[in-house]
Amino acid sequence: MIGSRATRALTKRELIRQTRQPSRIIASIATPLLIWLFIVGGFSNSIGDVAQSDATIGAYTIPGMASLTVMFASIFASISLIQDRQDGVLRAALVSPAPRWSIALSKIGAGSILALLQALIVLLTLPFLGVTITPIAILGAIGGLACISIALIGLGLALAWMVDSTQGFHGVMNAILMPMWLTSGAVFPVENAAGWLKVIALINPLTWTHTAMRSSLGMDTGFNPTLAWIISIAFAIFGIAIATFAISRPTKTKA
Amino acid sequence: MSAIELQDIRVTYHTKKTGDRIALDQFSLCAGNEMLALLGPNGSGKSTLLNVIAQTITPGSGKLIAPISRKSLSVVFQTPALDQLLTVRENLMVAGALHDLTKAQTQSRIISITTELGLEDRLNDQIRHLSGGLARRADLARALIPHPSVLLLDEPTTGLDIDARRVFWETLDRTRSRLQMTVLIATHITDEAEHADRVIMMRDGQSVKDDTPSNLKATLGDRIVRITLENESDTEQIAKWLGSNQIEHIISDRLVIGHHANASLASSCPVDSASITIAPPTLADVYTYYAHTPISSPGTGALS
Repeated sequence: MIGSRATRALTKRELIRQTRQPSRIIASIATPLLIWLFIVGGFSNSIGDVAQSDATIGAYTIPGMASLTVMFASIFASISLIQDRQDGVLRAALVSPAPRWSIALSKIGAGSILALLQALIVLLTLPFLGVTITPIAILGAIGGLACISIALIGLGLALAWMVDSTQGFHGVMNAILMPMWLTSGAVFPVENAAGWLKVIALINPLTWTHTAMRSSLGMDTGFNPTLAWIISIAFAIFGIAIATFAISRPTKTKA
Repeated sequence: MSAIELQDIRVTYHTKKTGDRIALDQFSLCAGNEMLALLGPNGSGKSTLLNVIAQTITPGSGKLIAPISRKSLSVVFQTPALDQLLTVRENLMVAGALHDLTKAQTQSRIISITTELGLEDRLNDQIRHLSGGLARRADLARALIPHPSVLLLDEPTTGLDIDARRVFWETLDRTRSRLQMTVLIATHITDEAEHADRVIMMRDGQSVKDDTPSNLKATLGDRIVRITLENESDTEQIAKWLGSNQIEHIISDRLVIGHHANASLASSCPVDSASITIAPPTLADVYTYYAHTPISSPGTGALS
């Protein structure tokens, strides 16, 4: 099938590209780890106990830091679409017989693989913070992170398809993604938040992916884990759908 | 059946700044196994036409009869469509997969095509380490991997020096005769259009003239008179003088071109400050004569 062969080749291309730019991978991991150090070192006393959970604030915020790592990696993956367009690489794919969804799927696939490898490094700090993790718990957390990366890369690709410059893309992504992450309970338990913030958190799909991850890691969040997984998977499917739709639309001109 | 056939294609772009702009206006084209050059300045509709044939934009009206699918065509763009961080071989493997070729098929084509293009020693080099000329040849190799029956080239030698340009054209000529492709080149460089079997001169999304390079030049006779004026106010005097010598001419700003000129004409020019040349016509002269604008000036109607 022409689409699957093209998807595999384009995914491999993305992975080769990333391994030849190690600074990007380091930046994606280093920033969340620094933020985590500031939060745990500077605010743990003011945040106090983590409600509904036996975990320390350090351990509780690790899934949030892993999702931040995924978010940065997803932004890089989406930006690569703009760079491909500027470098001309995208044109060769667009004039080939390969279906356009193969471009979207390869970006999502390669971006997610890289994002999850980076997030895994962050998650592997949990045993050092007193959290016992089993392979199944790690698989669950990776599943939650996969939902985040697929959804965010999909959203990013749809947006990158519409904007011409990386500067414009950064602006819009920061305006959308940072508030989404901050209101998702990544660094605070949602049930302790103010009423208005709790409402925002509940309609934020990232809150539910964090819930799904934390429940996999044995952290009680006070929310229904099954509902969290359903919303997380739906969020990922939405990401694939919106990216495929945006990239597959033909360029029509006026009569 | 023709390799490329379009009927009455019309493409209009809309921008908030300029409103509707016609990029292609009732454009028709039929091409068999030949090399065609689309000659015109930036904005004349060449790139839009290539996009219509490559099916990356859908025209507002008109019909694309051939090629019917993208399987049979390849495009070489103004800048190489290659990933700078990948090697030549890796880029070509991606090109093969995009055309649904198996790994074995692509690998065998990579060997034959890169040998023909003199790239066999650079297969493991990243594109960013190649010179401009080599990157162009690698890009040509990318476009040839699917063995296309139609090859579209959009200003393929932009930014190359004369030597690299010559090598590119030699390579293209050789490959074209081996693969029996229909080649359509968009260019604003008249020397490049001379390579073609047929030249279509474009302005504002329309075909101004369409013939072989020699026939096009023959329409202006053995010699033309090319006059460049210092002052636009002298055009009237020059027009009268050419008229009295029965020389048909066109005036484009301060450039005047008259055809079927005789060698002794220069001595009687009434404007002392005019720069006057009597010479065999070039494609640039033919373009200026029929499009009423020099090839170097931008067009007015299209977005490239």
